[in-house]
Amino acid sequence: MMNSQGSVLSVKDLKVVFSGFKALKGVNLEVGKNEIVTIIGPNGAGKSTLLDAIVGKSPVASGHVYYQGQDITNKSSHEIARMGIGRKFQNPNVYNELSVFDNILLALKGTHGVFSSIRAKLTAAKKDKIISVLDRIGLLEQGYAKVSSLSHGQKQWVEIGMVLAQDPAVVLLDEPTAGMTADETYATGEIIKTIATSHSVVVIEHDMEFVKQIAQRLVVLHQGEKLTEGSVAEVQSNPKVIEVYLGREQINAA
Amino acid sequence: MAQALGQIQQSNFVPKKWQIINLAVLLVLIIFPFVAGTFQTNLMAKLLLFGILGVSLDLVWGFTGILSFAHGVFFTLGGYAMAYYLKLNLSATANNYGGNIPDFMVWNGLKELPWFIAPLQFFPIAVIAMVVIPAGFAYAIGSFIFRSKVSGVYITVITLAIASALTTFFVSQQAYTGGTNGITDVSKLMLFGMVVPPIGIYFIILAFAALTLAGSWWLTKSNFGLILRSIKENEQRISYLGYDVASFKIFIWTLSAGIAGICGGLFVPLNNFISPVYLGVAFGTQVVIWVAVGGRGTLFGPIIAAILLGQLQNSVDRITQDWQLIVGIILMLVVLFLPDGLMSLLPKKLLTSSSNKKLLASSSDQLEKA
Repeated sequence: MMNSQGSVLSVKDLKVVFSGFKALKGVNLEVGKNEIVTIIGPNGAGKSTLLDAIVGKSPVASGHVYYQGQDITNKSSHEIARMGIGRKFQNPNVYNELSVFDNILLALKGTHGVFSSIRAKLTAAKKDKIISVLDRIGLLEQGYAKVSSLSHGQKQWVEIGMVLAQDPAVVLLDEPTAGMTADETYATGEIIKTIATSHSVVVIEHDMEFVKQIAQRLVVLHQGEKLTEGSVAEVQSNPKVIEVYLGREQINAA
Repeated sequence: MAQALGQIQQSNFVPKKWQIINLAVLLVLIIFPFVAGTFQTNLMAKLLLFGILGVSLDLVWGFTGILSFAHGVFFTLGGYAMAYYLKLNLSATANNYGGNIPDFMVWNGLKELPWFIAPLQFFPIAVIAMVVIPAGFAYAIGSFIFRSKVSGVYITVITLAIASALTTFFVSQQAYTGGTNGITDVSKLMLFGMVVPPIGIYFIILAFAALTLAGSWWLTKSNFGLILRSIKENEQRISYLGYDVASFKIFIWTLSAGIAGICGGLFVPLNNFISPVYLGVAFGTQVVIWVAVGGRGTLFGPIIAAILLGQLQNSVDRITQDWQLIVGIILMLVVLFLPDGLMSLLPKKLLTSSSNKKLLASSSDQLEKA
């Protein structure tokens, strides 16, 4: 286990309660620099809630979230985002009425104040950055298409592009490959690996093939608690995990 | 390739054909008062003001998604600022009731001009007040509602409550506001020692309308406008990108109220009075109708709708008193068959650049070569 000194993101004994229901019952998580942490677990385990609590979407009942040593628990979403934590949502959370270009432009790292946005010009540097992102997510040709005209998989790419443009130190990805074909899923995995060369990445995933492709360290959540963590091999051979999660999937698959 | 994409952005700014149409319309509006009579000149000036009031609502409703019935309030606050100025500058002879204070204050037993109204006898202060009072009021309520967890339809309900509350308040403070009648029999607007003729007021309003429309167009095409549209579509997402949504809402809300206030201020020399009628929900609803009929998020739509509906009311008024019935039917037809308003009847090509596809194709060609 990583010590919290070297952690970029550190979650300590986090509890989240929704009108009596304990969604998270004291979860600890350490994310190191340029590390990929993959979170797996059955539905309702609290995976998305954990990310929600980190980005200030769900109110934290007790416990703390530290980002580079600073306590960010219950800070507002835009402050957390500005500090350097980016989030991709489970369903593509993109602007359907805007063009792909404008979606990326909005996400671009930089000045986000009222007056600076009025004065902001589309500089050559910004354009180059947007074009490189469009190129990386393979949507250069659709740059000026409205996002609503894209396929589900392409929308997922747009949101990954937004996270790339935001260039946060910590990237939180909630099921980035949902609705993607096998090829698209593989390509996404390769992108995530590239992202992790210069960012810390937390990924929620169900697809075990994909998890094997990207995972360095696996965290298993179950009913709001951390069941175990370790390498893919360690987790796969853990009897508790097989019982609550992997085993069931294997039965389903059979 | 980067250059090609840049050109697209620029050509999107004001499409050529649309520029030409706008200049032509502006020219017609410049010639209009010389051809039409005084009545039509005054009516057109009034409808242009109503149109711009619609534009101010369009900025918050059409672009940012905040439906407000309180724009009549901001309009009227600006109107009262100007009305006090004009009333206080009636010459002593024109004021039959003597003294230095307005007739309605005399009737209600006031002996002295209240300290908070007195500064409005000076033109620069009145002009500043006509912007700052509605904008300041909007800033205060905006800071409160947009920083709280209130959202969507509840904000609209609050604007309705504000409109009703302020109407009651202005009616009840008869000594200070003139009560139900409002401030009537105001003096003519004087500038540089001369009475401004109707045609002069028309041109002041036309200039204000053109500048406001151009400014709003520029603002909504800027990065700021893009953020407004994203707030309208999904305000939560944009906050995860590091934008403080509340400060954007408060800014556009305050700006919008300031524009509405200027509309109200310019309305008084034209209308010769202001009354709590314009504070009320009924007038606030009219503003909403201009935006809905013209087309939300179009800027030009509310002006077209205000002029068309106003002229329609003027012609129908001579035949029947029930013009509101006709407006009601038009509103229902638009909502049912033209949800994006009259502006959606214009060919899309007019408002967006047609060269997008070509430029984009050439940019990807270049990429392949590179």
